[in-house]
Amino acid sequence: MMKLLIVEDEEKTGEYLKQGLTEAGFVVDYAQNGLDGHHLAMTDNYDLIILDIMLPDVDGWRILKSLREAGKEVPVLFLTARDSVDDRVKGLELGADDYLVKPFAFAELLARVRTLLRRSTNPVTELSLSVADLKLDLARRRITRGDQRIQLTAKEFALLELLVRRQGEVLPRSLIASQVWDMNFDSDTNVIDVAIRRLRGKIDDDFDLKLIQTVRGMGYMIDTPDVNT
Amino acid sequence: MGRPTSLTLRLTLLFGAVATVVLLAFGWIIERSIEEHFAVADFKELKEIGQAVEQSLSPLQAKPDLSHLKQRFDDILVGHHGPLLHVSDASGKSLYRSPGPDLSLIPLPSPDQFSQDNIQQWSDTKHNYRVLIQQVAGQSNGPYTVIIAVAIDFHLHFLKEFHRTLWLMVVCGIAVMGVMGWIAVRQGHRPLHRIVEKISQTSADELNNRLDPNTVPIELTELALSFNELLQRMEEAFTRLSNFSADIAHELRTPVTNLMTQTQVALSQARDANEYQEILYSNVEEYERMAQMIGDMLFLAKADNGLNPPNTEYIDLKSEIRNLFDYYEAWAEECHVSLTLDGDAYVQGDRLMLRRALSNLLSNAVRHTPANSSVAVELSHAESDVLIMLQNPGTPIPAEHLSKVFDRFYRTDPSRQRSGEGAGLGLAIVKSIVEAHSGTIVATSDETGTQFRISLPTLADPTRLHPNPDIL
Repeated sequence: MMKLLIVEDEEKTGEYLKQGLTEAGFVVDYAQNGLDGHHLAMTDNYDLIILDIMLPDVDGWRILKSLREAGKEVPVLFLTARDSVDDRVKGLELGADDYLVKPFAFAELLARVRTLLRRSTNPVTELSLSVADLKLDLARRRITRGDQRIQLTAKEFALLELLVRRQGEVLPRSLIASQVWDMNFDSDTNVIDVAIRRLRGKIDDDFDLKLIQTVRGMGYMIDTPDVNT
Repeated sequence: MGRPTSLTLRLTLLFGAVATVVLLAFGWIIERSIEEHFAVADFKELKEIGQAVEQSLSPLQAKPDLSHLKQRFDDILVGHHGPLLHVSDASGKSLYRSPGPDLSLIPLPSPDQFSQDNIQQWSDTKHNYRVLIQQVAGQSNGPYTVIIAVAIDFHLHFLKEFHRTLWLMVVCGIAVMGVMGWIAVRQGHRPLHRIVEKISQTSADELNNRLDPNTVPIELTELALSFNELLQRMEEAFTRLSNFSADIAHELRTPVTNLMTQTQVALSQARDANEYQEILYSNVEEYERMAQMIGDMLFLAKADNGLNPPNTEYIDLKSEIRNLFDYYEAWAEECHVSLTLDGDAYVQGDRLMLRRALSNLLSNAVRHTPANSSVAVELSHAESDVLIMLQNPGTPIPAEHLSKVFDRFYRTDPSRQRSGEGAGLGLAIVKSIVEAHSGTIVATSDETGTQFRISLPTLADPTRLHPNPDIL
């Protein structure tokens, strides 16, 4: 079980983050001020720390610095309300692993948290991936569902690979756009929905078992539906 | 570096300096010429006496009649202002000596200098003299040495007096001219004071105040014009800013009203879980729209303050647009719009920002293109610029709207504002990105369609890209 620490002085944000992450299956400690956060971060062992930069007492930079000076390599994702290059650069220089600018989508946060946790645990490169009867041969870039070959364009393949690699995780549209197309800004179009619809047309439409699922208000995920329900 | 010296002080000092130089030169010339005049008069007198003495000496016999000679010399001296005379023969024996100081004390010049008129000044304890020394050939005991001296105390005294008066006049002159200069400068600065007064009356409420360049002296026209330009820019920025704030408030009012009403209505009575879920989903959509709007507005606000620091790198626009096509292709196909790209261009700029600008333009174009037609992008180089043309058929945008398409929150059709078209900031962002790259963007529209034309300097001067990655 992964153990996370949230340091956030805004109570509502903190509580909801804690609830969301707990429900996503993490064990979450929540510190409401920099002092407690600093203490917890330094004494306990966490798999990941979510750190708000603007704290009234000991700010996020200090905590991050203390952590790195103490040789703790725990991944740190920092939250900032000011999207300035200086802040980003400073955070990354101090050894933060990722950052999010408020307001952010919870799905985005969750996806980033999982990315960071995965990065720190298994850097294994698989040769093939699969979900239910869907198989991706990464080396030959071939896809089969059951015994049926499926032809995908390069981008469709990349999209499917992303979904399968992170099966069971809800991926927000912004994350998909940035991972598959390298578009790191919000588009006011439904480009991702169209792309997913097309992918569905190829891998789901002709099969009874639908793999790609829409999570309303959050994004998409690929998963083996619970056969019992 | 400190503050520069005050203009009044500077000009006054300059006036003073000029007056000093002029008066001093003037005084010096007058003094010199008076001195010269005295010297010439003295020389003339000395020469006259010298000639008379020479005439008396030339017929001198081997055995001169000394008493006769003395009489002659006395006669010569009578007509003049108390000159002194001393005559000696070759052996140095004094033949004549007028009463008064002993002229033989004056050192004699070397023999070769006797050929010229040898004038010098000499003074004993009481008086100053101008002295002429000459040699006169004689038949015996010659040559004779003749020393003539005239007192010049009177001249010197006069010169001294004159010198003092002159200096006094110079000092007074400098002082008077300084004061007058100061007054003149103050007077001369009056138009400047008037302008300052006018400027100081300009407050934020009266940015439409303008200086009339025809009412100021010609030297200040530039200043008046620049000030007017500054005011103009400030007025524009100020208006834009107030409009922007009003727009923001207005744009936020709609989603906030939706959220409030929806939530309050939902809470007014118990509902089943599905209904609550529906409401939350709808809220999320509203929030997402607001979050995007905030992000866009922050981006623009930063661009306005020059805080978007573009990284400059070499960008292959062709492949950049191909990537965007890749991204939008499926969506465009669903809209039955095809995308075409022609040409090739490279530019130096910020990849992420340019990508965002092109993406906004492209999605805007696809959205406004009727089915079964195409959006065409054309890249070309023109002199030192790169041209990006984006053309799509569609309903022409009326000329009065065309100039406003880059304005914030501007939508050609106000009723369409909630139909997924974004907050109306897309093209404003395009413009601000192009301008951050020192480029220009123009929109034209006619029956054949709408065209956006971006011109970017190929080698953007990095110093012209906002270099200040400051915190907003």
